[in-house]
Amino acid sequence: MNKVTPENIRLLLTRYLDGESTQEELQQLGEYLGHADRLPADLMPYAQMFALLGETQPTPSVQALDRLAADRPSPDLSLVGRGADTNGGLAGNKSNYSSPCKGEAGRGSHRLGLLLAAACIAAFAFILLAPLRLEEESMAVAYVDGKKLDDKQAAMRMGQEALQEIFSNGNQEEQLSNIFNGL
Amino acid sequence: MKQLLITLVAIVAALPLSAQKGLRIDEVFKGNIVNELALQESLVKGESLEPYKLKVLHTVKFTTSSTQRDRVEALFEEDMKGRLSDDDENLELEYRDGHLYYAIVQIADIRKGLHRYICYQSRTNMAEHTITLVYMEGKASLADLRKTFKKK
Repeated sequence: MNKVTPENIRLLLTRYLDGESTQEELQQLGEYLGHADRLPADLMPYAQMFALLGETQPTPSVQALDRLAADRPSPDLSLVGRGADTNGGLAGNKSNYSSPCKGEAGRGSHRLGLLLAAACIAAFAFILLAPLRLEEESMAVAYVDGKKLDDKQAAMRMGQEALQEIFSNGNQEEQLSNIFNGL
Repeated sequence: MKQLLITLVAIVAALPLSAQKGLRIDEVFKGNIVNELALQESLVKGESLEPYKLKVLHTVKFTTSSTQRDRVEALFEEDMKGRLSDDDENLELEYRDGHLYYAIVQIADIRKGLHRYICYQSRTNMAEHTITLVYMEGKASLADLRKTFKKK
């Protein structure tokens, strides 16, 4: 694209909004939109947009801004008529506006999202595990016939009885008793 | 995010009852061998066990058939392979009629100074067997435990 005409710029803007611009095309856009005093009115909003994004720092001249104010053109975002046909005019092209942001800004927000997700997981883990650790340090539960008994004493008693029973196996008196009882 | 939370909650819910994880008898504690409705189970952790120098005491008791008794016995014998030694200070064992009658086995520590024990007892009455299975861990030695729990 050697000759820079408003029509070419419109095409370049379309490519830019689709996120398909090359560095050379961006440079062309910057140079053209930076000389805002000779911009057609419909391209003025894009010059302002570029200025806001800080990519080319175009500075529309006072005359151009006056002309824009006098004309009060509504931003014709359907530059070459394709966005409006498929997406419904302004609303459809608004989505195109965001496409250049899918580059660095998009990645930035993605990273921020990941960080937020990680922070949420860490917070949930802390909240869930902290009381559990305390509970784990001291707990006593018993299950009888599939029913949970939140009776610490009962749980403790069951445990003690099981151990007494097992450790008493080596007890000679009990062994004799078992023999006499026919066990 | 939702799936992650569900997984997290599931892990957290499983933690308290997995003290003897890694042992074959864990299957019995989990109710995979004998229906958990038939189990009498107790799980005690923490300060209640301090007088016994224990940190975890997990017991199950159930009455079952010979077939299931054999399965439980086999699992216990598998775990016995991880015993610390055959010395009296680490092991008590008795077989009757070709089956394990009772056993107190110290198995290898997971952490230094934290001893682990598995215990088994089977009592036969007619065709039914009442089995008691215990897992415990703590600083107590087998001598300490004998002193505490052996009936005079």
